[in-house]
Amino acid sequence: MLKKKGILHELYTNKILFLMLLPTLLYFLVNNYLPMIGIYYAFVQFDFNTSLFKMDFVGLKNFEFLWKSGKLVELTFNTIGYNIVFIFLGNVLSIFVAILLNDIKGKWFKKISQSILFLPYFVSFVILSVIVFNLFNYEQGVLNTVLQQLGADPVDVYSKPKLWIFFIIMFYLWKNFGYSMVIYLASITGISEDYYEAAKIDGANAFQRAWHITVPMLKNTFVILLLFALGSIMKGQFDLFYQMIGNNGLLFSTTDIIDTYVYRSLRVTFDMGMATAAGVYQSLFGFTLIMIVNAIIRKVNKDYALF
Amino acid sequence: MGSKRKKAVGLLLTTVMSMSIFTACGNNNGGSNAANNGAANAANSGSAANDGASNAGAEPAGIDTSKKVQLQFYMLGNAPKDLPKIEEQINKMALEDLNATVKFNYTTWTDWDQKYKLLLSTGQNVDLIFTADWTQYQQYAKKKAFKPLDELLPVAAPTLQKFVPQDMWEAVKIDGSIYTVPATYKEYVTNGFVWREDLRKKYNLPTPVDIDTFEAYLEGIKQNEPKLQPVSFGADIINSLALMYLDIERRNVGPMLNGMRATYDKPAEIMPYWGSAEHLEDLKRFRSWAEKGYFSKNELNETETIQDKLSNGSTAAIMGDNPTRFNATMETMKSLHPDWELGYTPYGVTNGYATPVHPIHNGFAIPESSKNPERALAFYEKMVTDKRYNLLTQYGVEGVNYTVQDGYYKMLGDSNTNGFPREGMNGWAWRNPEYMLFEPSYDGVKKIFDELDKIQKPDIYTGFAEDYTEYQSERAAMEQVMKQYLLPLLAGQVENVEEGLKTFMSKANQAGLQKIQDSYKKQWLAYLTEKGIQ
Repeated sequence: MLKKKGILHELYTNKILFLMLLPTLLYFLVNNYLPMIGIYYAFVQFDFNTSLFKMDFVGLKNFEFLWKSGKLVELTFNTIGYNIVFIFLGNVLSIFVAILLNDIKGKWFKKISQSILFLPYFVSFVILSVIVFNLFNYEQGVLNTVLQQLGADPVDVYSKPKLWIFFIIMFYLWKNFGYSMVIYLASITGISEDYYEAAKIDGANAFQRAWHITVPMLKNTFVILLLFALGSIMKGQFDLFYQMIGNNGLLFSTTDIIDTYVYRSLRVTFDMGMATAAGVYQSLFGFTLIMIVNAIIRKVNKDYALF
Repeated sequence: MGSKRKKAVGLLLTTVMSMSIFTACGNNNGGSNAANNGAANAANSGSAANDGASNAGAEPAGIDTSKKVQLQFYMLGNAPKDLPKIEEQINKMALEDLNATVKFNYTTWTDWDQKYKLLLSTGQNVDLIFTADWTQYQQYAKKKAFKPLDELLPVAAPTLQKFVPQDMWEAVKIDGSIYTVPATYKEYVTNGFVWREDLRKKYNLPTPVDIDTFEAYLEGIKQNEPKLQPVSFGADIINSLALMYLDIERRNVGPMLNGMRATYDKPAEIMPYWGSAEHLEDLKRFRSWAEKGYFSKNELNETETIQDKLSNGSTAAIMGDNPTRFNATMETMKSLHPDWELGYTPYGVTNGYATPVHPIHNGFAIPESSKNPERALAFYEKMVTDKRYNLLTQYGVEGVNYTVQDGYYKMLGDSNTNGFPREGMNGWAWRNPEYMLFEPSYDGVKKIFDELDKIQKPDIYTGFAEDYTEYQSERAAMEQVMKQYLLPLLAGQVENVEEGLKTFMSKANQAGLQKIQDSYKKQWLAYLTEKGIQ
């Protein structure tokens, strides 16, 4: 029916609705779509004295620095690898803890543990880096002081790149899972009590109720959070990596991501072109990825797909 | 129906999300987006036409002040608490003198280099901005991010033009034009060894004057105070160790980049330093220091500043610092531990020469985006040469923020209660030697300056403006290679130094070091010829 009458008719019949949508559309147009013109910066030689479209076109020259150091593959791999681990471990852990917390009957205990788990989210990464440094530094760190008290040899944590894969993931989870846990907790609260009561009457135990009711009901939230996260899979947790690793080149092989690489490389130049080039690379990659994943989800279950 | 709604929600979410992906293109990673806040201000400046009652007589020489304007003034660092009060008083005077008001903007120190870059490249209205060698004045000027002042000066600021000596105007020229107004206060930012003098006396250790005596001092501290870390370098080890070492031991002409070096005496003999026999020798020395435990194994992840570590007693020395900061560290230390002492040997005393600060080191420029360059320059002239403007913006309000006692500056209250400490606006660039007031503690710095005055020679390095347009992607790639392979070598973290250096060099050559060095050398030699330096 809609197709027959065309878009103008649709606009006319629902004019009030479209009017209400207008501010939002304008907001995104001005703040998000218009700045996209800036993508063109990635293909020109930046010049202070002329406007964007009068600058010299240089093709892909601005992208060169990304592969010049021979790191692009390693960086892309690290960035995606960490993000996949963050997404999956983060979500699994949040769902698990959310279910546990939801089943706790003591109201005070529940609220307090929820808050404690949520608190690290507000710790700044700078503070986190100081905490980590005081835990692991070779001379005065907590870890080595304890080890020495026990008669063991001190460990130089900051020269062992493999160890940091574990630390980065650990501190990320510590800091962030409280946040998504609260989202899941809210979704769980939204599940109708009737299901559980019916299951109880049929003799399902707590595990069965969690596995067969809560988990499937959370699938929708999970898919949306997943798709959200995938969109930014090429954008690493800059602060986390930058603050924890900083300039320690010994750890770069396992901990360097695109964001830290770009920041480090371009700190010495002020070239808008190269910075934009890096952004474009990340965005295109993220865009492609989200299109693919969404297409897959669409195939599996149309209702869960974003579009 | 339900499915349809889900769809709509999904669509909206997608829009939101793809937006958040794309917005990343425009701004760079650091997360700082300073460009926004200025936009509102910029809107003000063009408007507000005057009612016509312009003050005759106050008009300076050749500029048109009939239209009222607001100037956007940008400085790095944090604004002092009382800035609004100062701004109000300044504006009262400026309105009368120039029919202009000024808004003093501060970037804070967080991500200042990102914000600085954005201020200059986004075309936002900025009328006056701080410049220095460490904010890459030479590069920005070379790329014409600032307005040339040669023709503007005699028209808008004749007094200022006369006030700054001709040789300073010459020294700040980039490609033949003046792009910044240099500060005229003569100081030294050359480096020198800093160490705990009380410990040196206690254990009768040698006074550090060169690397060998410095090493002996560190050894002595290690022997006598095993709990104390002899020396600290922090994460910025390139500056705190590598360049300091080249300065004192290899008499470098300046903090040369791209792995090149040349001595002050023979600047034309520029040669590659990275990968050379000297480089290996130096790295081995650093490694031996690390092995002996002179500095921490985790220097690269240190979170405290080395000056703080010195004043709170967690380290006994730092390899180099400038006289002013040395004095500040000593003051902090004295307030915490009155019985400790700090010693200082300027490298100049050992090397036989010291270079007073280059005029480029502190200045103010007018960005290309400025809409009122004449008024901006005329206002800046007032800041420097008019005593009322100058004292107010350097020291605050007399009687409220400070008093003058026996010719010395005296702060009222303390740093917590006083809303405008000495040079609270970071007014290094508009210091006027005729009006300057010092604290008694500054006498120590002056004494060092007097000593260095006797052996002064001109700075021949800072005037050099590297143009890296043709190798900027190599340069960016090199930055990574340097951090990944050179820093661990400097920090003594690599067991086999020779192997480590080989790895670093092979990665560096892969990233295109050769191309950078060739071009850099050519530019340097051209610069020497142009300036007539032998």
